[in-house]
Amino acid sequence: MQSLVDAAATGSLYALVALAIGLVFGVMRLINFAQADYITIGAYALIVPSASTVPTLFIGAWPMPLMVAAVALVVVLVALATERLAFRPLRGTDPSTLLVSSFALSFLFQQTIMLIFNSRPKSIEFGSALAAAVEIAGLRVPGVQLLTMATTIVAGTLLVFFLRYTALGVEIRAAAEDFTMAQLLGVRANRVIAVSFAISGLLGASVSLLLVVQTGTLDYRMGIMPVIYGFFATVIGGMGSLPAAALGGFLVGAASQLLQAWLPPDLRPFRDAFVFGFVIAVLLFRPEGLARPRAMRERV
Amino acid sequence: MGVTADIGPASIGITGDEILEARDVVVRFGGLLALDRVNIALRRNEIFGLIGPNGAGKSTTVNVLTGFQQPTSGEVLIDGRSIGGWSTNRVARSGVARTFQAARLFPALSVFENVVVASVNAGGSLAAARERAGDILAWVGCANRADRPASALNYGDQRRVAIARALALSPKFILLDEPAAGMNERECDQLVTLVSEIPGRWGCGVLLIEHNMAVVMRTCSRILVLDGGKPIAEGTPVAIQTNAEVRRAYLGDKAPGAAHR
Amino acid sequence: MAADRHRLIEFASFVWSVAALALPLGVLVFLLSRSGSLAVEQTVIEALIKIVAVVGLYVFIGNSGIMSFGHVAFMGIGAYAAAWQTCCPMLKPIVMSGLPDILLQNTVPNFPASVASGLLAAAAALAAGAVILRLNGIAASIASFSLLFIVNVIYSNADRFTQGVGSIVGLPVYVTPTVAYAWACAAIALACLYHRSRFGVALRACREDDVAARAAGINVYVQRLIAFVLSAFLLGVSGALYGSLLGTISVDTFFLDMTFMLVAMLVVGGVRSVAGAVVGVTAVSAVVEIFRQLQNGIEVGAFHVALPAGFQGIALALFMLAVLIFRREGITGGHEAILPERLRRALLALKK
Repeated sequence: MQSLVDAAATGSLYALVALAIGLVFGVMRLINFAQADYITIGAYALIVPSASTVPTLFIGAWPMPLMVAAVALVVVLVALATERLAFRPLRGTDPSTLLVSSFALSFLFQQTIMLIFNSRPKSIEFGSALAAAVEIAGLRVPGVQLLTMATTIVAGTLLVFFLRYTALGVEIRAAAEDFTMAQLLGVRANRVIAVSFAISGLLGASVSLLLVVQTGTLDYRMGIMPVIYGFFATVIGGMGSLPAAALGGFLVGAASQLLQAWLPPDLRPFRDAFVFGFVIAVLLFRPEGLARPRAMRERV
Repeated sequence: MGVTADIGPASIGITGDEILEARDVVVRFGGLLALDRVNIALRRNEIFGLIGPNGAGKSTTVNVLTGFQQPTSGEVLIDGRSIGGWSTNRVARSGVARTFQAARLFPALSVFENVVVASVNAGGSLAAARERAGDILAWVGCANRADRPASALNYGDQRRVAIARALALSPKFILLDEPAAGMNERECDQLVTLVSEIPGRWGCGVLLIEHNMAVVMRTCSRILVLDGGKPIAEGTPVAIQTNAEVRRAYLGDKAPGAAHR
Repeated sequence: MAADRHRLIEFASFVWSVAALALPLGVLVFLLSRSGSLAVEQTVIEALIKIVAVVGLYVFIGNSGIMSFGHVAFMGIGAYAAAWQTCCPMLKPIVMSGLPDILLQNTVPNFPASVASGLLAAAAALAAGAVILRLNGIAASIASFSLLFIVNVIYSNADRFTQGVGSIVGLPVYVTPTVAYAWACAAIALACLYHRSRFGVALRACREDDVAARAAGINVYVQRLIAFVLSAFLLGVSGALYGSLLGTISVDTFFLDMTFMLVAMLVVGGVRSVAGAVVGVTAVSAVVEIFRQLQNGIEVGAFHVALPAGFQGIALALFMLAVLIFRREGITGGHEAILPERLRRALLALKK
């Protein structure tokens, strides 16, 4: 039972990542590896730049609403900058080129962060109050897990509302379905893409804060694994469908936790291998992902 | 209405070997009935035309005959063997070649490579494949451009190379999907000559999908007319031209001599 | 008669495409090795080994058009296979106790060990590829990336075979610039052979238009698998050679950083040609080396000026992004070295 809660929490976290990746993929056919660095940058924004392994809090020391807003702002600005400077010139190129360039961008960020902050992981006191466990229905659930699940639900709901009921949201969905047609109908490409990146930045910021509360550590590669998982999750769920991406994230996170709990101790270190193998298995069984995307079949 | 029962291979006594056959093929896309019990028998020595208004299901028929589309019901047989579930490249290697509405050459490959890449799949040695590719390219009149990248060719030449590529498979049947689209009169004449020679020169039957009636009438010995997925008439060019149902399908109720629905 | 002439031209064309890369490379290697600096020699050897690897990447990525981020897994498999065969005879039974006795008690000579390592990697690729190449496009790229992680996890935890996350030391350091150069030439020759073979052409057809390729009778899956296995062989060999650079390997050497480096080299040079692979490795290695010198510091007047560590990674990433934005096809533009027209005509005119 405890492991189910863990699974739900981890799944929620990966769902947040998957949403961000799925959104950007939807409008640009770009798999944004740099999402990992949005997460990392959000976390590192909390501290004063230094090479020390026990850094002092900077934004992290501000009152909570201000801090959250500041981190969100930083990450969104970074996301928008990457869109404007790196991805806009590459718009319309084939998916492989986009993939490789986001890979390069991610590497660039990692190296820069490593340069400024040093490659050794740092530990910080942050949100430790949330690490305390709450008793619910006989289970001890750490506050941070509840927060993660709550954040995902709120973020997901807001996103659904935004995409369905606002003009901008509708434009984004149209662009995701058929970009050229949407442009012909007057949808402004730049605005749609920029907004999508901004949203992915917001999602990235929330993931980074949740991660820092959960682990208390900063590492220049901390965003990579969540994004890898989120990335696989999008694929499992089906690229082109946001709810499915979230579902995929949930499944991957849940699978990872459940395997941890249920695998025999000998095999537990290999848990990740099973998860990745599971990804391949799903891809084989349903290459388009579990949801059925609309316009993906090629007409002969 | 009474025409439908008389359409199909059985009506002219074709059975068995050396034919590419569609038997009672039905293709349904969700709620849309794209093909409604289509029967075709293509012999190796004939040129068979497939015509009909836009959306009649002509391309779907070609897709079914070449394995690009699985029929919802009915079957496709090559020389009596069903191709149900076969991969498209297996169908191609079994003797059914096709062209596409757009030439779909491999742009980065040379013209020669475009043809050789198919030719090696017809069996035999690499040298034989290369020789066959050269012969076919010469026959379609593109031998002098053999070493150019396919992307450098003009539209008409691309079409001809596409036909060469299909012929390079040494197929028993070749399905040409609107080869005359966008051609002027002189080019159409050349196409008619080319297509008419195929059964005799290369020993394969031709299924020709075309909108250009002149080309169809001049090359085909038999024609099947589809409308809205249904076969509505089959016969010689003369018979089709004078068929009231066909007129109505193309021209609507206002066609002279058309019975009202 | 025409066929003989044709075969001659084909052969000349092949020799030319290999020589056009191997000869300048040889000259460069020769000159740099004479510099006397051990560090430079190490760089040269490393670059040549990476040529083997990146040429291997080209064989699959360049011809199939599928971006594979997982190939470094095969490099790792090859590296450890070489370790199992050639490492530290005294330590092996203790450090890698999980190995079968035949490996624990014997040491394989270096050359056969490298080949065997390549073959093991190829076998792994056959198994993995049979599964993941059923997927198309992006899905295949992602699945191959998955593969990288799977291999990393397995090797990181199979302590009795690989020392887990620790390093294996004591590998024979036998690769000289000459040995590395020989392997680089072999890789180039193999890749050129593949490129002009019916399999290479068929795979490129699949890359251009996989629907039309199928209609032309090509089995897309089989063609992709062939390239996948061949490229894994080259990566496996490069892994085996890599171990002998410093005599030590660890699982993390063959993970994300190496993947980025190799992919960057290929992209910068030009994904679609063997020349691109070679040029890419050379260019990037040169840039990295320059930055390394800058990081070590240069004397400017009375001052010791040095770039902070980590700048070379940033420079490389920026370089790669610049190439992708401004010259997508890479430095070579995807062109191979082809037989000059004059030479071709001369051969055609030969009286026989």
